[in-house]
Amino acid sequence: MSPSPDGTAPVPLLQVEAISCRFGGLLALDRVSLELAEGEIFGLIGPNGAGKTTLFNVISGLTSPSGGRCLWRGVPTAGLGACGLNRLGIARTFQNLRLFESLSVQENVLVGLHHAARAPLLWALLGNGAFHRHQGRLGAQAMELLTLLGLEALAEQRAGDLAYGDRRRLEIARALATAPRLLLLDEPAAGMNPAEKDDLRQLIGRIRDHFALTVLIIEHHVPLMMRLCDRLAVLNFGQRIALGSPDEVRRDPRVIAAYLGGSGGGSGGGSSGGQGSADGDGR
Amino acid sequence: MDAALLEQMLLGALLALSVYLPLRCGQLSLATPGFYAVGGYVAALLSTGVPAFAGSGATSPLPALLAEMALAGALAGLIALAIGGPVLRLRGIYLAIATIALVEILRVLNLNMPFTGGAMGIFGIPQPFEHAGGYVLFTLALLALACWLCQWLEALRLGRAMAAIRDDELAAASVGIDTPRTKLIAFVASAVLAGVTGALAAHFLNSWNARAGSFDASITTLAFVVFGGSRLWPGPVLGGLVLTALPELLRPVGDLRLILFGAVILLGPLFFPQGLVTAERLRWLGTLLGRGRHRDRRAPLTP
Amino acid sequence: MDLIQILVNGLSVGAVYGLFALGYTLVFSVLGVINFAHGAVFTLGAYFTYLLIGGAVGANGLLAGFQLPIALPFWGALPLAGLGAALVALLVERVAFRPLRRRRADPLLALITSLGAGVILVNLIQLLVGAESYAIPTGALGGLPASFPLLGARVRTVQALLLGIALLLLALLSLWLEGSRNGKGLQAVAEDPETAQLLGIDSTAMVRLAFGLSGFLAGVAGGLVGLSVSIAGPYFGIGYGLKGLAVLVLGGLGSVPGAVLGGLIVGLAEAFVPADWSGWKDAVSYGFLFLVLLLRPRGLLGRPLPTKV
Repeated sequence: MSPSPDGTAPVPLLQVEAISCRFGGLLALDRVSLELAEGEIFGLIGPNGAGKTTLFNVISGLTSPSGGRCLWRGVPTAGLGACGLNRLGIARTFQNLRLFESLSVQENVLVGLHHAARAPLLWALLGNGAFHRHQGRLGAQAMELLTLLGLEALAEQRAGDLAYGDRRRLEIARALATAPRLLLLDEPAAGMNPAEKDDLRQLIGRIRDHFALTVLIIEHHVPLMMRLCDRLAVLNFGQRIALGSPDEVRRDPRVIAAYLGGSGGGSGGGSSGGQGSADGDGR
Repeated sequence: MDAALLEQMLLGALLALSVYLPLRCGQLSLATPGFYAVGGYVAALLSTGVPAFAGSGATSPLPALLAEMALAGALAGLIALAIGGPVLRLRGIYLAIATIALVEILRVLNLNMPFTGGAMGIFGIPQPFEHAGGYVLFTLALLALACWLCQWLEALRLGRAMAAIRDDELAAASVGIDTPRTKLIAFVASAVLAGVTGALAAHFLNSWNARAGSFDASITTLAFVVFGGSRLWPGPVLGGLVLTALPELLRPVGDLRLILFGAVILLGPLFFPQGLVTAERLRWLGTLLGRGRHRDRRAPLTP
Repeated sequence: MDLIQILVNGLSVGAVYGLFALGYTLVFSVLGVINFAHGAVFTLGAYFTYLLIGGAVGANGLLAGFQLPIALPFWGALPLAGLGAALVALLVERVAFRPLRRRRADPLLALITSLGAGVILVNLIQLLVGAESYAIPTGALGGLPASFPLLGARVRTVQALLLGIALLLLALLSLWLEGSRNGKGLQAVAEDPETAQLLGIDSTAMVRLAFGLSGFLAGVAGGLVGLSVSIAGPYFGIGYGLKGLAVLVLGGLGSVPGAVLGGLIVGLAEAFVPADWSGWKDAVSYGFLFLVLLLRPRGLLGRPLPTKV
């Protein structure tokens, strides 16, 4: 963690301060606050329509909040926009998958390497050796990421032709290519079977360690989140109703109430029982 | 085929590339004929009014032509740069309509400015080449240069960024692509190409008036790209060549020719929704031609 | 020219723009595209009216000298011409729009296919009746005086008619949209085609209805312009087609009252351009259009543009 100038308390990587978001008559987010410490895996859970994706959109600059602010290493991020926030170090995936479908798998990652890819235009026009070496390096970097996500064999395929699980992983690869410090994952396990979910959990842990990342993740599958996350926040009707370690959240009576009919005691799996459709509803 | 028709076809291909550039990043801009008209006026005014550009009598020196093309491209590019910021915030059909309006505003300006010769336009633009053949060679070189640049774009990060915006503008922004800037670059490049083409066309046609940049031309140039294929640069080039030639080649059918031309525009997108040139067809052509030869280095062409 | 005269001029021209843009907006609201054959349908409406009142074809087309055996009064000819134009619009839908819809092709392609249809229609007119201009004699109005006094100014009867008929058609269209089953169906399809389909609304029928109506309105507008000005050759719809675009955006794409309001505003604005500056008149509407797009892209009465995340 980076220490603050006076060396006392560390400055959080990201502070979400009393963010509100209103769409017409609907208050999608109601003064939600969070702090992400560098290096942690932070989970965001809650029923459908609780405002989780809206919060992602605010953090990643796709939606302007109607109130509150976000701070990146203590500096307000208002007005930076999606591109500016990505360049600061925030990358994301999308719940309903937004790949560049007409491009190949490798090209999708190359687009992610956009700012790493800057080469003098003159090289390109001359088509000289330096340019080809540069292109080669980029290609290798992209392949490295694809290998990490287990997509190397599909590099030449059109992204639009990929199977569902591969698309999810390609979105992660594309996000990682932008060299983020904070990775936002919006329901990465949606539509996966239990074995795939377990692989994904390990993969996210590996990615965090490999790139020394901070991860903010939305997921409906509560048992997965309980095992994966260092801390969790629970949203319901746009409000943050709980925050803490998986154990603390599991015992919180308000969380149990929000997840109707959860047994409360026992496992997190039990508490997600009321969300019967949650696992399969991603698509 | 006579050289004059060939020259018109080549100019059509250049204009098609100008429409293709913004479309390559998903922006349906129909402003090309407006910039084309502006470019033509720059060349027409300079070469008929400024002694340094005019040369002697009916001929004008080649360096003057090059300078006029550079100035025409620069003026068109500057106009595009000035209006691109706000205009490119519009999407889809709204952008198309805004650019149609731009073309019309430029047309009214060109018609009413004190120095553009009104509805008659400007006559007696001097000729840098004695025969149409000279124009053909020169335009062919310009087209080759434009194609070469488009081909290189495919390998550049700018080209990838443009393709990413075409597929999903929001996702492109969220992987760190400066989408307004990228769209602006494409728009300005399109304007420069149209302006340069206009300067050349003004000399070739010998006279220039406001009809050069009209609504019809907007849609016709769009038809070039849709007909040829909007994904890869050979598409607009082919579309520009074929659709410019078509009304002339149909002359033998007399009065029916424009009706047949309309039928081609109507039926083309129905039978070839992707346009004539697609990656698959190019690959097929490549294997057909490349049999027994070494692998073609144009590999990055496939999207 | 005094103020009343300018106002009446502007409003009557604006009424035609409004009728024209109504046709654009109906099609846009159900399909999300612009029908570039609309100007040609408008032109046809004018020629149909001319033929139905008993006008004879000039010497240049294939139909040289042709004349219908009947000579209807203008009142009878105008709605029939509208119906004829509606049939043509349905044909345009059939050949230029439906095949694309069925193949789920890029809607952008409809700009090109409809343009192709327009090119065919315009050149077909030229082939059949030649490129000369035709005038619908005001005698076709029967015993009405050519002009009448209003608030101390003289107003041409034709202009008052234009305005009256346009407002009448707008009122009828609004009543029909709000009050009838089909009108509500059309609105539902405009709102959300998929949901409408789920509710059992036949969206293909609604698209056809939108084209039919749009053709009728264009045909009537064409007839009215033919009466008040003249039919200036097969290409005379193109200028109106462009003005219609400006009006469409000004009022808000997909908005019915917006189209009429936009038409009246553009018509009035043009009427106030002084005669010395008449060369700049065309720039007024496009300048308006440009400003509206930049300041308020949804137009005066349009719905907010959808944002997608």
